[in-house]
Amino acid sequence: MKVLKTGKLEQVIDRLAQQADVYVPMLRGQQSGFYSWKTYNEDFDDLMFDILNVYQSPKHLILPQTEKMYSFRQEGQEVSIEEVAADIEPKVIMGIRSCDVRGIEYLDEVFLTKGYVDEFYKARRDKITIIANACYNPGKNCFCDSMGVSPTDPEAADVIMREVNGGYVWDVKTEKGEAITKQIEDLLEEQDVELFSLKPFLRKVEYDGVAEKLKDMFEHPMWEKYSEPCQTCGICTYLCPTCYCFDIQVKAWGDEGYRFRCWDSCMYHEYTQMAGGHNPREAAKERFRNRFLHKLQFFPERYGRPLCTGCGRCIVACPTGVSIIKIIDEVKEAETGA
Amino acid sequence: MHNCSCENPLVPGIVEVVKIIDETPDIKNFYVRSENGVPFNVMPGQLAMVSLVPVGEGMFSVSWQEENDHLEFAIKRTGLMTDELHKIEVGQKLGVRGPYGNGFPVEECKGKNMLFIAGGIGLAPLRSFIKYCFKHREDYGKITILYGSRSAADLCFKDELFEKWPQEKDTEVYVTIDNPEEGWDGHVGFVPAYLEELNPSPEGTIAVICGPPIMIKFALQSLEKMGYNDEQVITTLEMRMKCGIGKCGRCNIGSEYICLDGPVFNLAQLKQLPPEW
Repeated sequence: MKVLKTGKLEQVIDRLAQQADVYVPMLRGQQSGFYSWKTYNEDFDDLMFDILNVYQSPKHLILPQTEKMYSFRQEGQEVSIEEVAADIEPKVIMGIRSCDVRGIEYLDEVFLTKGYVDEFYKARRDKITIIANACYNPGKNCFCDSMGVSPTDPEAADVIMREVNGGYVWDVKTEKGEAITKQIEDLLEEQDVELFSLKPFLRKVEYDGVAEKLKDMFEHPMWEKYSEPCQTCGICTYLCPTCYCFDIQVKAWGDEGYRFRCWDSCMYHEYTQMAGGHNPREAAKERFRNRFLHKLQFFPERYGRPLCTGCGRCIVACPTGVSIIKIIDEVKEAETGA
Repeated sequence: MHNCSCENPLVPGIVEVVKIIDETPDIKNFYVRSENGVPFNVMPGQLAMVSLVPVGEGMFSVSWQEENDHLEFAIKRTGLMTDELHKIEVGQKLGVRGPYGNGFPVEECKGKNMLFIAGGIGLAPLRSFIKYCFKHREDYGKITILYGSRSAADLCFKDELFEKWPQEKDTEVYVTIDNPEEGWDGHVGFVPAYLEELNPSPEGTIAVICGPPIMIKFALQSLEKMGYNDEQVITTLEMRMKCGIGKCGRCNIGSEYICLDGPVFNLAQLKQLPPEW
């Protein structure tokens, strides 16, 4: 087996960073996230390959929080439009966990399938190489296996790093993975090592049958109960590795400007507000219900799998204790035909 | 001028406004042309994203495509973007992208009697299907059009309603306004009540309906009372939309995206969805 010794980890990152912008998990300030190796400052940042999932998922590297779509100019009645050159610098996301890799798989389904290819997304996605870090020791809010994610074998990874004593097994999965391995091959060592075995999950949730059951639970009183404390702040949607909703807005000064898209949140009133005044999801309860039904029923109906990877971020971040686990449990226990 | 010919479905092409008709005090019909005539071919009931580029984009039903010549958008002044749109003059360049959505089932309706029921600006999307039926007149049976608005001044497409369409073969046009007013000797009353009064037979008929939510609600009840089954009733829905290609998320009702799977559904399909329409 090819092994990357812990002592050579930074050398490997340095090498990869010669040909791509390499994002690695760091603790920066109070929060952890994926930051460019170019911005690493050892006085302020801690490289954290041992962290399970960072506070903010790396989805912004593929679906940026704001993204210019095209610029325009108006002169009198004339209008011209020019496409903004896509950011095409190759990126490596290194140290990403299974839950967040699954998040990217779902983004791929949304932006690359079902009739239309989103060209902005595709331009970024094509240039991304994923080096995942397999999990053998689930955290206290992790429930990825309950949502059908393998913590040790993320599907869309190009390379999987498997932690062993003294380093990582370097497990190449795709052609992209092979290409990137060529750059660092001399830093790997051939060695026989024993892999860790997966420890039991502390959180469990029974998702089987939930999508089907929810079809009859649109008017169930549970939505009133669980949405009551929700402040519709939207933090769950921003931290979620699978939430992908976006808005399209314009920035103009005088006769020129640009159109851009940015993250949006289904928790906000404006999200579905129509010009005539009608809003199909006027109340917080209706928006809350739509968010959870989208994750647990609507997305599975359309794409075959639930739009939750069990990363646990929304549970940790929610200021009022809303938990998708409690909601799934309640659906599971609810009397049918309610 | 750069006329964006890129393949990116989120980037508009440029069209020119070649004619503007004041339909009502707050509805204008905009004729737009690209260099080649129409920017893309549209089927009745499909949508397009129109942008007054420095201001904003809005999704509108294409109310008619004159083949190889122009597209028509009948647009009501209701918000920031449409306020600005109502100020433009002929010659203005706009952005347009599309077409989006499924459109009306023009093929499945062949051989049927057609009953069109519209209120206010709701006639704009139905008009594309009505005119399509007239263009392919031999493919469809009897055509009945029932249209209502708040007042006589609020009726759009008056020339077609009162002059052109009643001249078409085997066609009846009924128009009503909500309240009596001086100079109006036509029918007075709400659309659903007039519908029940006219009582068009459901036999071999497809009803196509669009209008304010309250009109749709009561007209659906009337149709059910008159014996129309859920497969015989078609409507076109409205939701807020941004992308038009089923990605941005907001126009869902249940697992259906109105911009992609809709906006046209029959009542049987709608009854499968959560009651958010």
